[in-house]
Amino acid sequence: MSGLLMAGTRSAGPRRLLRHLLFSEYLVLYLSVAYFAAVVPFVPQMASAEVMRNILSDMLPLLVVAIGQTFVLIVAGIDLSVTSIIAMASVAGASVMTGDGGYLAGSALAVPGAMLAMVAVGLAIGAFNGFCVTRLGMPPFIVTLTTMMFFSGAAIWFTTFHTETSSIANLPHGFVVLGQGNLGGVPNALWVVAAVGIAAHLVLARTALGRRLYACGQNRNAAAVSGVPVARVVAAAFLISGACAAVASILYTGRLQTGTPILGQTILLDVIGAVVIGGTSLFGGKGKVLWTVFGVLFLVLLDTSLKMLGMSLFSVFAIKGAVILLAAVIDAVRTRFAARL
Amino acid sequence: MRLTRRQFTIGTLIAAGTAGMPLYVKAQGKKTIAVLFDGLYSPFWVAGLDVIKQDLTRRGYEMVQAISDKDDNRQFEQVRAMLARKVDGIIIVQTDSNAVIPAIKAANEAGVPMVHFNRPPAKTEAFSVAVVADNRKITNATVEHMVEVARKQGGKFKAAILIGNLGDPNAIGRRDGFFDVVDKNKDIIDVVARIPTEWNADVAFAGLTNAFQANPDINFLFTSSDFLFPQIVQAMRVRNNFHPIGHKDHVIFGGFDGDAMAYELLKDKYLDADGVQDLFKEAELAVNAIVDLQEGKTVERVLLDPGFAIHQANLEQVRDRMWGYTIYKQKNG
Repeated sequence: MSGLLMAGTRSAGPRRLLRHLLFSEYLVLYLSVAYFAAVVPFVPQMASAEVMRNILSDMLPLLVVAIGQTFVLIVAGIDLSVTSIIAMASVAGASVMTGDGGYLAGSALAVPGAMLAMVAVGLAIGAFNGFCVTRLGMPPFIVTLTTMMFFSGAAIWFTTFHTETSSIANLPHGFVVLGQGNLGGVPNALWVVAAVGIAAHLVLARTALGRRLYACGQNRNAAAVSGVPVARVVAAAFLISGACAAVASILYTGRLQTGTPILGQTILLDVIGAVVIGGTSLFGGKGKVLWTVFGVLFLVLLDTSLKMLGMSLFSVFAIKGAVILLAAVIDAVRTRFAARL
Repeated sequence: MRLTRRQFTIGTLIAAGTAGMPLYVKAQGKKTIAVLFDGLYSPFWVAGLDVIKQDLTRRGYEMVQAISDKDDNRQFEQVRAMLARKVDGIIIVQTDSNAVIPAIKAANEAGVPMVHFNRPPAKTEAFSVAVVADNRKITNATVEHMVEVARKQGGKFKAAILIGNLGDPNAIGRRDGFFDVVDKNKDIIDVVARIPTEWNADVAFAGLTNAFQANPDINFLFTSSDFLFPQIVQAMRVRNNFHPIGHKDHVIFGGFDGDAMAYELLKDKYLDADGVQDLFKEAELAVNAIVDLQEGKTVERVLLDPGFAIHQANLEQVRDRMWGYTIYKQKNG
């Protein structure tokens, strides 16, 4: 009898630990730490302050887009147009403030005007996506895929009106420091992203809109029956995603000192991947800003280590794809075996 | 013996640190050059990467490479990663001449020499060296030969040019080089199609097909890069426009780069002229510049490859200087 009890106690420990790890919302953070420890022997420079700073700075713009995407995924949607929003906002903002004949060139209003234009672009495209999804009943995948294609092309077309080359340069110093400078030793971008992150967390965790977003994602019909204005809530998610992509565009454009119509075109996998790795469900109703932070951290950590190892781009794609797939599998396994453990 | 959790953690960290030591020591022993390319989407870049690698290996350097796949931001991050890895120099092919400037500044701050291979940056106070072909002059020579052929043939010509990504100064140089010559010969040449390609083969194919539909009588064609030859040949074949020199419907045809297909088309008498970049010289200039900068020597900001035009009249004499001919010979014996 006592032997049976002893065996039961022994097996309960690892099981509890497994359950704690597998179902912990910090799983991705633990994985990040484990990955970091595993990769440091191969790339010792990963542990340097310089690389840590790089990881942080690479995370920031990606995190803002990913936070916006989290909102859309929570309502069981998807926003593929974020990359074109980044590109369109980048060239629109640059055309306002560039010293080479910008609309407000040389004016004190150049930088705020440009930033306003960039956010307006994000909101406008987000509002259009939301309108098509909620009022016209179109699938988010098709809507945002087509807006991605349209605005990617429009960004290149728009650029040709402002420059002979393929990018708009000569941006004011006041704008560039936003992407590159720091305040009190803390990068300016970090202040911006922290503000966006905290606001997003509060919206999701503490407001009626947050509760309604989750409700729409879990069961849209049930939410509607319960009095949730589903159309407005879903539209709000796309609007937030557009605005976040525009903020990311400000940061990317600032760090490259150039408005370019191909900006962000290749980060879609990273954005959706980071959110999914974090644990936000592609089927809606589940997700947190903190999870997205962990997902972005893991992805950037992975990306940085592969760069430092000098891996080819194709290997990087393959490894990142595999990791994102693994994250999706873990998510499915977690859901399936939740009751058994 | 039972290990406590703390002992296990400390042991693991020590083991990890010890395991990392040999790699760190190895990295200290051999100089490393990072070679960061925008993409390997044409034979020129594939051959360029290969030639640089051979040159660096011959000189005893270790090479690490990364491809940004036409992503400015990714390339910026790659530069910073390489600087953090403490490489001794960077050879870069950037996507955009303006967007690369923060990367040059980062390299300057880290004291790491940066050399642009075959694509110069936009004007900036930040210091870097660019190895570039004299695109305009080489194109001038190429198109002058095409015009000479046209004049000999007689009659009027409707011309089309496939233009590259205008964020790339090479594309601008080749476009300007083309117009320098055709503008002086407006009496026989009328440019009816300026086809933007964005250095994208699909875009080029669609653009050229549209141009032929709008102007079926195009009979003078210049491409700003040889890597578009397969698409051009396909578009012309579909319209039954692809004929060798001497055929009454032959389109006077020219290109730029000097790749293996250019040599083959010249040899088979489909191509009239091709601007050749001296790839071997450019690779040598790039690596020399890195070495000189490391040794504290002064290096000019722009190192020029004069290149040359190869055509039917001088094919046998100058083909040995054409990098595409070297590749062709390796493949075909």
